[in-house]
Amino acid sequence: MLQLFATIRKEMLLLIRDRSGLAVMFLMPLALVTIMALIQDAPFRDYQELKIPLLLINKDDGDLGKKIEEGLITSKIFSVTRFTESEEQARKQVANGDFEIGIIIPEGASKKLDARVDQFVEKTMHDMGLEVQDSIVKDSVVTEATIPVFFAPDIKKSFKNSVISSIKHVSSRLETQTMLSAFKGALNEGETDTLTEELNEFIQFKELESDKTTSVHELNSVQHNVPAWTLFGMFFIVISLAGSMIKERTDGSYLRIRTMPGSYTVVMAGKVLSYLVICLSQCALMILAGIFLMPLLGLPQLVIGTNLIAIIAVALCSGLAATGYGVLVGTLFNTHQQSSTFGSVSVVILAALGGIWIPVYVMPEVIRGLAEFSPLYWGLNAFQTVFLSSGNLADIAIPSLKLILFFVFTFTIAYFVNKYKNN
Amino acid sequence: MAKGAAIEVRHLVKTYKGATTPAVNNISFAIEKGEIWGLLGPNGAGKTTTISILCGLLHQTSGEVLIHGFAHEKKRKEIKQLISMVPQDIALYPSLTATENLEYIGNMFGLKGKKLHDRISDCLSVFGLSEVASKRVETFSGGMKRRINLIAGILHEPSVVFLDEPTVGVDVQSRNMITGFLQDLNKKGTTIVYTSHLMEEAQNLCTHIAVIDYGTIIATGVPADLIQQHSCKNLEELFLKLTGRKLRD
Repeated sequence: MLQLFATIRKEMLLLIRDRSGLAVMFLMPLALVTIMALIQDAPFRDYQELKIPLLLINKDDGDLGKKIEEGLITSKIFSVTRFTESEEQARKQVANGDFEIGIIIPEGASKKLDARVDQFVEKTMHDMGLEVQDSIVKDSVVTEATIPVFFAPDIKKSFKNSVISSIKHVSSRLETQTMLSAFKGALNEGETDTLTEELNEFIQFKELESDKTTSVHELNSVQHNVPAWTLFGMFFIVISLAGSMIKERTDGSYLRIRTMPGSYTVVMAGKVLSYLVICLSQCALMILAGIFLMPLLGLPQLVIGTNLIAIIAVALCSGLAATGYGVLVGTLFNTHQQSSTFGSVSVVILAALGGIWIPVYVMPEVIRGLAEFSPLYWGLNAFQTVFLSSGNLADIAIPSLKLILFFVFTFTIAYFVNKYKNN
Repeated sequence: MAKGAAIEVRHLVKTYKGATTPAVNNISFAIEKGEIWGLLGPNGAGKTTTISILCGLLHQTSGEVLIHGFAHEKKRKEIKQLISMVPQDIALYPSLTATENLEYIGNMFGLKGKKLHDRISDCLSVFGLSEVASKRVETFSGGMKRRINLIAGILHEPSVVFLDEPTVGVDVQSRNMITGFLQDLNKKGTTIVYTSHLMEEAQNLCTHIAVIDYGTIIATGVPADLIQQHSCKNLEELFLKLTGRKLRD
């Protein structure tokens, strides 16, 4: 135990005396958290409060035009701009990208809908052997109401489909209402409003979280960037840790250590524990910055949930994974240049895959699959479960276990590589 | 095991991976307790490999090494308490003070509290470093670094000290101080295994020498006896006679 404490004390003294190293370990992630939170604040807001700019030409003076317009406005999906100029001008504006979508409700669309519905009702009643009192359409040919919709050139097919379905949803409600009114009228029944209201929503959709832990808070720039860049900073200690190991080897200190009592595991444990303290301090500093500094910059305050023990557990497991990786890099490489190049590039790649730069859910499917192999992704997942959903230890058990296994895996490989090199 | 042997080496062979010839080729010798034993040889002769195996830093390909009767394979922990290595490099932490470096090393050998601090204080005093005890090693001169490097090796009072060129790159005063200290240490019973390229120093310091070349011991004995046997004036002449004048890598 004396050897372990001696190693921890020695490592802590070395770390404290290395001012530039400390700056990299604390100020760099703090700067990254702040800058990235500021940069991504607007895109995060846009993503959550996104309204698709829609250009509407409504030439119909009946119910159809009115209802579609109302439906589009109340849907909260579209930012509707009423357009009074020519259709050609409207197409040009959409083609230029000024609007994502253009919709033209042609003149007489409501009348066409009414006529079409009446014809359908009369035919249906006739087929059922019922007599229609006042035939409106008789045998005349009625064409359906066509509503032209056009999109900006860069719009994806899936997006077009979702927009068309939103518009269809609005129009189908109107069709149903019109049809019921027509049936009622044909049967000389009274008011139809109550009935149509009742028929409106036979099936209700309720949005639930896919996970059992219900998300309490929205993901915003601060909620994403604080844990994300904290993890990045924690993993960036790889450079410092690997550098210190290589320095010990090159200046002969490691040779002396090997002739002294104390196993490799004890000496390395002292190093890991010292750097773990640094990781936990980094985490505490970033969380405090999220709570106190971010609001001063006009950003949302970091919400950390209610389970402090779970936060400490995630920080510990992430710190262990980072130090294990540092020990491995420090063992594998022989020069500081090699270790710092590989260490920084590999951490940046793991960070990119792990959703540190941008959330994983906006990445392509292939990259989303690769994210599963990044320890930074596990850490970020665990942090967000605790922060956004007030997750407890059970909720973060799987990502935490993955992080611990990553530490065991990297440390074990480092142990055997070191043994091989010493022989 | 020979009676009173601090170190006994039998048929020691070390061949590095990928090498075609052994770095150490079937050498055997015994070092008696209380000797100052010099291992001399040109560059690449096998000195460092031999010392590294004796210290347990390298595994031999074959042969046997016993330190106070213990083999590294079986009693590594016990051997580590008995021996100490003073490497040629200044194997200390430059950003730590002299005291902090020595506290760390002392703790690793199980020393602590007053005993450790008294020992550090004594050693620093003997080596004239008391006044710089709380200064960082990075601020020390070459000679001061060499002295603190030596203190780090003898702090826990080992039975056997391995010294790899302990006086390289130091001024005459520091060298005189270091060799004087090593002789005093030896008088107290410490066995010293020493390598150097400084033949005059080795001749004055060592009670016994072995000359190694191409991995094989080519001469061993008391320096004065060897010089006389080979009709040489001094150890340097003997060394050149035994190893030749051809330049080595």
